Amino acid sequence: MFKFFSSSNIYSLIQKVINFINSIFFLILIIGLTFALVLSPPDYIQGDSVRIMYVHVPAAWLGLACFSFITILSILNFIFKIRNFYFINKSIAPIGLLFTCLAIITGSLWGQPTWGTWWAWDARLLSMFVLMLFYIFYILAFKLLNKEELIVKVSSIIAIIGSINLPIIKYSVEWWTTLHQPASIKILGSSSIHPAMLLPLFAMLLVFLLYAALIFLMKYKIEIIRIKKKNIKRI
Amino acid sequence: MITEFLAMNGYGFYVWMSFSIVFIACAVVYLKTRKTLRKYESEFLVELQNLSAEEKNKALENSKVAQQILAANSKMN
Repeated sequence: MFKFFSSSNIYSLIQKVINFINSIFFLILIIGLTFALVLSPPDYIQGDSVRIMYVHVPAAWLGLACFSFITILSILNFIFKIRNFYFINKSIAPIGLLFTCLAIITGSLWGQPTWGTWWAWDARLLSMFVLMLFYIFYILAFKLLNKEELIVKVSSIIAIIGSINLPIIKYSVEWWTTLHQPASIKILGSSSIHPAMLLPLFAMLLVFLLYAALIFLMKYKIEIIRIKKKNIKRI
Repeated sequence: MITEFLAMNGYGFYVWMSFSIVFIACAVVYLKTRKTLRKYESEFLVELQNLSAEEKNKALENSKVAQQILAANSKMN
């Protein structure tokens, strides 16, 4: 069982998954874009500007999901000292930062025609901005510190403190009066979004997920090669 | 019809700008990551070539990763 999780087996599995994602990615991208830009109906109030939702919402979800994942692995790594989690977190963080920045930028582009302003310092927008800062601090810990032990400690502390912000982002629209609309899609309870818009949203979410997986696997592969290169004489 | 589609009832600038920014940012990150991966693979191969014949054979025997990088590189060439 443990032999299966050796870096050699993981490396060969990663290559197979990358090849698989590459083979289906463009087909799913075309389907997602066709649904998002052509087939889905305009909103009865927001008109065609609602199409921004198909890139804004998946980006925001993935930004949050990546940080949640980083927090869980940081806690586990802090307790059990599993070195692999360190490399996984290092590979995920830039993807989370990318999606958080994209959520903020596309949100701003959606805000201008809908609210009449590019930016407002309200609870949801501010908490997303804080998440972006935590991602930057987290990545800087890997870039600026040298010792792996110290990086694990500092990055774990950043992740754990940053995780306090996650429920604030989620519930900011309910706790405070904000410009941002409340959640339309609920895991528990009925969603207030029409299936004609829900389907393109999930298609685009799949595109974003595949892209995130592809970048993560490439970055993780880089980490494996880096370790092997360092220890090449010991192989 | 195409002009109408591009105009998106007056929201074209915001919609196309959003999709373009996402597409460009994702493409840049993908290309940059692929370039770094290739750089590390070629650096690993250089390190492998610098080993003595005995060390190189031992490394290739014991490391599937080394075998795979070498195989992928010879395929590309």
